[in-house]
Amino acid sequence: MNAAIQLEERFGARLLESVEFRSELTYVVASSDWVEVLRFCKEAPGLAFDQLDCLLGDHLPERTAAPFEVVAHLVSHVYGHRLRVKTSLTEGQSLPTVTGLWPSAGFDEREAWEMFGIVFDGHPDLRRLLTVEDFEGYPLRKDFPLQGTVGGRIRTDLRGKI
Amino acid sequence: MSAERPTLEELKERKVLSRQRVERSGEVMTVSMGPQHPSMHGVYRAVLDLDGEVIVAVRPEIGNLHRGVEKLCEERTYHQIIPITDRLDYLSSFVMNHGYCEAVEKLMGVEVPARGRYIRTIASELCRIANHIMWLGIHIMDLGTQTFFCICFRDREYVLDLLEMLTGARLTHSFGRIGGVAKDLPDGFDHRCRKVIDFLPQRIAEYERIIKHNRIYYKRAKGVGIFTSEDCYAWRVTGPPLRSAGVARDLRKDEPYSAYDEVDFEVAVEYQGDVYDRFLVRMKEIRESCKIIRQCLDNLPDGPFLARDVTHSLPLKKNVLRDSAAMIQDFYQVFQGPLAPKGEVYRAIEAPKGEMGVYIRSEGGAKPARIRFTTPSFYHGQALPPLVEGEMVSDMVAIFASIDVVLGDCDR
Amino acid sequence: MTGPSEPSHKIPSDALGLGLVRDILRRTTDEEEARKALDPDVLGSAVRLPGGFAMPVQIERVLGFGRSFSFWPLLFGLACCAIEMMALGGSRFDMSRFGMEAMRASPRQADGMIVAGWCSINMAPRVVRLYEQIPDPKWVLAMGSCAISGNIWDTYNIVQGIDSLLPVDVYVPGCPPRPEALWQGLEMLRGRIKQSKHAYDGLRRIPAREALGEGGVTS
Repeated sequence: MNAAIQLEERFGARLLESVEFRSELTYVVASSDWVEVLRFCKEAPGLAFDQLDCLLGDHLPERTAAPFEVVAHLVSHVYGHRLRVKTSLTEGQSLPTVTGLWPSAGFDEREAWEMFGIVFDGHPDLRRLLTVEDFEGYPLRKDFPLQGTVGGRIRTDLRGKI
Repeated sequence: MSAERPTLEELKERKVLSRQRVERSGEVMTVSMGPQHPSMHGVYRAVLDLDGEVIVAVRPEIGNLHRGVEKLCEERTYHQIIPITDRLDYLSSFVMNHGYCEAVEKLMGVEVPARGRYIRTIASELCRIANHIMWLGIHIMDLGTQTFFCICFRDREYVLDLLEMLTGARLTHSFGRIGGVAKDLPDGFDHRCRKVIDFLPQRIAEYERIIKHNRIYYKRAKGVGIFTSEDCYAWRVTGPPLRSAGVARDLRKDEPYSAYDEVDFEVAVEYQGDVYDRFLVRMKEIRESCKIIRQCLDNLPDGPFLARDVTHSLPLKKNVLRDSAAMIQDFYQVFQGPLAPKGEVYRAIEAPKGEMGVYIRSEGGAKPARIRFTTPSFYHGQALPPLVEGEMVSDMVAIFASIDVVLGDCDR
Repeated sequence: MTGPSEPSHKIPSDALGLGLVRDILRRTTDEEEARKALDPDVLGSAVRLPGGFAMPVQIERVLGFGRSFSFWPLLFGLACCAIEMMALGGSRFDMSRFGMEAMRASPRQADGMIVAGWCSINMAPRVVRLYEQIPDPKWVLAMGSCAISGNIWDTYNIVQGIDSLLPVDVYVPGCPPRPEALWQGLEMLRGRIKQSKHAYDGLRRIPAREALGEGGVTS
């Protein structure tokens, strides 16, 4: 695929891994190359990935070296192709923001921060988005219980007594 | 009016001019619009900084309907997630099922039989019509009338009757299955559906006659809330707002799924990028949906409506208590569910509100390791600041209604 | 106060004597005692209305009858159930024939609340505040499984039933309940309105708020 050829030419070994599964192309890059690779994807004339479809976080506790992951899905309106770029992070490692390239990453990065605790450097407004401001914990991490911790639930033992 | 096609530069200039038409005094007052407000679509909160009538800044606050759907889905098998997807964009539930099933079928490599694909297309287009009619009623109600809301709900009831006949439910269908749909078209559906889609275009013509040349609507919608295609790409605004800015992007044509590559329809495009054009786009989409349904009914292939794939699909209900193989398949599917291969997929479809995508990462088990629903309303809610900053507060209601945000979709 | 027995509770002063009558009727279980308590001599002048009308409990009934035909709920839809509530207000399942189509946007003008949809912990203090802003007499209808018990959303952000926040009069199950089902629930609610029965009778506090502390439920 044209995108693959161009990216491999430009970045070579900095694309740590490439996977093609169900006709989708995925590249794993180091977190230090994150913004550069994405900027090239957006600005290179042959790639022209003008829309960031979504950016999400992920938690893989079984991968102890780098349990967190940030995945970006790109789509090009000009050529119609799609791409997925991923990077792995350790606990507490931060990633530079891509809101300068695609403003739609604003809410995506806020959600990734809120759900996983991944800090995005340079984000204009990194605070909780979907949960209350004083929510404790990072819900989508695998060690966070589905029902939440005690502080997050309303008193169900009072039901019927009101 | 719609024959005129401004270039991107002209549209950007028009946008800037339309936002500068009111003088500002410099004194800013903060007003909280929402979460309980007669016009906020669901519980969306927009904190506005107002300089007189002009909106200087908007800070949207979402999350009032956040359920933790993504975390909930990590504890469910792939079949059990289908009713959860219903409640994402509850105005077009089957479309959410459809998108999710498409993603899962891509992951597992399941092929949907032809009849199943056509029935999915019919149900999706019925949902699209219901969604757009409802949108119209809500939009016009936000602008001040109640009558039109009742008129739209009257027509929406005909479509909901069809959906109830087909799926069993009016609103939360849960009709999609991995490998097809839950039931075949019932007797009499064909006749009834044709009656409805024959008379709906007349109704749409009536709506357009009432609204399109209505002086009040024209003043409130023309040139208001211009969003250029560049803005749409940057803010991930898709669907009718993108198509009203002149971009002929429709995933039913660009990345076809189900029976969309076997039917003939046009993509509804307008060029002015304002509220008026978003209305025109949606009305045209209803007409095109009627066309699609008619073609699907005419060319409906015979055969199974659900893939006969023992490891991935549920068996037919009628066989479960009669045939031991079907019973074993049922046990397997209900208690364990289909196992997905290790890998990740992302599949986007054209929901009525925009592009809805599903990202699934699987570690090889019966439950997804991570699932993400990329819903259009999330990004449309985010795009409110660039859309309304500079506009007047009374226009904000019209603009917000035109980009069609539903909080269940937004907050997940 | 003259009379055979002195009421054991403190009778609050009340302009027309209606609240007083209601309180008495609820707190006395003995019919004899209730009748004696209604004796105008016992109650004093609070019950004497212009024109010498001395049976205020009938006014309550008349008011209840009138209120039941004009219950104006707060325009408060949270999620999918709100769509079915709107469908009830539409042309087919017209709720205007029963006087309810005027769904008020302001809680100060509303008679009650139909909580339609799941309540997240972000929304919980706002739901309670809206409920408190509705003036007496008020009723609450919990529409849909999510408002009754949280439905399938047993997660970190959802209140498992709004009856841990507000007193609920009628529960309408369904996901979402059909407009006809909601209508049946509203009929039950209208029955309660006619009898002037409230879920908060006897209890004017919301224990959930107290239990969470003053700062527990803030917006």
